[in-house]
Amino acid sequence: MVTEEIKNNLRAIVGKEYVLDSEIDRFGYSYDSSFVSIADKKQPEVIVRPATTAEVSAVMKLANANGIAVTPRGTSSGRTGGSIPLEGGIALSLTRMDKILELDEKNMMVQVEAGVRTIDLYNHCAEKGLFYPPDPASWKYSTLGGNIAENAGGMRAVKYGVTNNYVMGLEVVLANGDVINTGGKAIKNVTGYNMTQLFVGSEGTLGVVTKILLRLIPMPKARNTIQLMFPSLDSACDTIHDMLQSGVVPAAAELMDKTSLQAVARHRKLDIDSSIAACVVIEIDGEDNAALDKQANKIQEIANKHDVKEVRVAGSFKESEDIWAIRRGLSSAIGAMAPNRFGEDISVPRDAFPDMIRRIRKISEKYDLTIAVYGHAGDGNLHPSVLCDMSNPDHAGKVHHAIAEIFDEALAVGGTLSGEHGIGITKKSYLVKALGEAGVNAHKAIKQALDPKGILNPGKIWEN
Amino acid sequence: MKTQQELLQKVQEIVSQCDRCGACLTVCPLYGAKDVESSSARGKNNLALGLLLGVVKPTPEVQEAMNFCLLCRTCVDNCPTKVQTDEAMMAVRQYMADTGGNVSLEYKVLGSLMKNRLMVRLSSGALGVMRKIGVNKLIPYGVVPCEFTRDEYTAAFAGPMALGAPVDRPAISVSADTKVAYFRGCGMEMMFPDAANRTREILSSITNPQFVDNTCCGLLHIAHGMQEDFYKMAKENIRLFENADVVVTDCASCSSTLKHFGKYFADDPEWKDRAEAFSKKIMDLTEYLVKVGYKPKQKTQATLTFHEPCHLGRGQGIRTQPRELLKAAGNYVEMKDADVCCGGAGSFHIDYPEIAGSLLDKKRINIENTHADIVVTECPTCLVQMNKAAELSGGKFKVMHISQVL
Repeated sequence: MVTEEIKNNLRAIVGKEYVLDSEIDRFGYSYDSSFVSIADKKQPEVIVRPATTAEVSAVMKLANANGIAVTPRGTSSGRTGGSIPLEGGIALSLTRMDKILELDEKNMMVQVEAGVRTIDLYNHCAEKGLFYPPDPASWKYSTLGGNIAENAGGMRAVKYGVTNNYVMGLEVVLANGDVINTGGKAIKNVTGYNMTQLFVGSEGTLGVVTKILLRLIPMPKARNTIQLMFPSLDSACDTIHDMLQSGVVPAAAELMDKTSLQAVARHRKLDIDSSIAACVVIEIDGEDNAALDKQANKIQEIANKHDVKEVRVAGSFKESEDIWAIRRGLSSAIGAMAPNRFGEDISVPRDAFPDMIRRIRKISEKYDLTIAVYGHAGDGNLHPSVLCDMSNPDHAGKVHHAIAEIFDEALAVGGTLSGEHGIGITKKSYLVKALGEAGVNAHKAIKQALDPKGILNPGKIWEN
Repeated sequence: MKTQQELLQKVQEIVSQCDRCGACLTVCPLYGAKDVESSSARGKNNLALGLLLGVVKPTPEVQEAMNFCLLCRTCVDNCPTKVQTDEAMMAVRQYMADTGGNVSLEYKVLGSLMKNRLMVRLSSGALGVMRKIGVNKLIPYGVVPCEFTRDEYTAAFAGPMALGAPVDRPAISVSADTKVAYFRGCGMEMMFPDAANRTREILSSITNPQFVDNTCCGLLHIAHGMQEDFYKMAKENIRLFENADVVVTDCASCSSTLKHFGKYFADDPEWKDRAEAFSKKIMDLTEYLVKVGYKPKQKTQATLTFHEPCHLGRGQGIRTQPRELLKAAGNYVEMKDADVCCGGAGSFHIDYPEIAGSLLDKKRINIENTHADIVVTECPTCLVQMNKAAELSGGKFKVMHISQVL
């Protein structure tokens, strides 16, 4: 319970105008971009907006002493309920901590505060010819603190990896207010546990990340886009596998199934040949145009072996943008097909991608629900979208079963529940299936050690 | 007229499309000035959804949040699902006004002033007098802005010695029987009569325009819960212009509102077709001038920059036309973020002077960085804001409506 006295203490720490507790503010900080309904009434009692690590530390000390729940958040663009304050208490908004502290060009590293937006960091580094590759779909508005918390991925993962591949060190405020620094600029570092990677993907349950040290790579000098249309899912996936094995590693390889293509066709009023079952969009990058041509020729050669129906190599930046606009607009195009959409984020071994899509098809037929599938075929991360109308009582139950079965099938092919969105609230009931009792217990032991009172983002990742 | 049920349905249809992704947070000018959730489009759409679901109570605080929107459509432009937040906000305001919430006194006063043509003309005369005796400086919020006239402009930048090369005037290709009418906006008439006169002169130099004694376009009314007035005036305007083929207006808010009549009357079997036909006739001044191949009378040596009104660029997709005309009228420089709202937004600058002021500060700096002599725009509220910016800059630039420099 956040009493008036505690609120006054919070005001003394961060300043009066950065403590919000009006009805509309408590409502405004109660939701994220997941399908958890805004009507679930999980509202914070107070919103606190610190500007410095010292302020975060003081807030945590106060919360810990009084046993108050603290749910850290950035712009709340998460997809699994990670920043929803399930047990009330404090919503700790870090968006005022938005400074890029140091761009170290020699070591090719950058240090930022947690509230810096991903796109702002990207642009800042790009000006110096340096490249921060992780590009979650939300990169224009997500914060790096959130990217760390959910270990965000993106389309470039196939070649460049995800957020955790770039994190060199963190400043973390622990539940009791202690401030620790993990990792550092030294590339080789085995001094103690790898605490840095423990916090990456911990969804705000182990500590509040306040500063982040990220590694950068040189910016590729040339980029181009290729769009390939295939008569079957297998021919599309086989092309991607052969391509990777032949040594052509694209910067992105995105796949859309037939249902997704129909959604795009409807949304953008396009005609798409009905014999096309899958579309693959590939980004290639390299030293110069000659290097790109070489990759493009190789890809085309491989695709021809797999009966590709149509190959479009972008001739201009504009054409590239047009092709990517289709992929970027896909989520919305699919969303527009039905009143409700449950988007999932399973991740499977790359070679299981077509098999997984077939399994999803079967589930779709079994429950008579439209499920569009698209995803990062290059890295095995798929986003099945179950389309339904929750005002139809028949749908509500079916959707729940269909999603549970999608998770079962993902685990059956050696995959997992989440590739890049995290577990949050929406997937926690499936965690035991994925990790086993012992696995979940190990999580709880770590949580207990770092946050004995259980005040940090309570109620997330596993069922209590 | 929309019933309460229809209003709710409209709001429901719009706001339930919001995926809560947060794309609007980084682009909303109000969130930029006051970065709490309820300032953003996501915040407001979900408050509206909360009202519909019964988890948010219709308190004055919520009503206030719904009013705290520029209706600038920047969020709509950047939204992956193109959620029409501006329309949802207008419908919620109407609903709250109809169900016991009150339309604030100030909107009522402004609304009834603008409904009345005689009052519009009288206040126009009164403003002229105030300006002459200098009282306008004493009235806050730029309610009585300065006006830098065409004559002052030509004297300063196009005197005989400073005259740039005259522009060739090609034959204008309008068929002789196209009947063009001018739609007179209240804001232009009341606050910027010299500019409105210039528009009339330009139109008269091209064609034989009809000058119709029209009534207000009704934007203020539909935006602030006075739909009854809006529909009444809209019908009158539709009737008044039935004889014209093309209706030109020099106010971006008017043209944008009038172009939407078709949509507002879509459910009204009696008025649907007439409203649709009316909307199709509407042309913004610059859209019309470029269409007919108008070239400015002379190219001056003045450096010009353009502030793009929300209702012109995002509202109607008119972006190239004013710039094309200005390039022919002087030395044109594009300012940074020319299409970002100046904070004027109808009466927003009167309701929230501090927030509007912080938006305007950003705009002023962008204008100053161009070193332009004149900032040109095409909306009376923007002109009011630009005048305030000019004053704050200590007279580094002047402000003009686009018809005054062509």
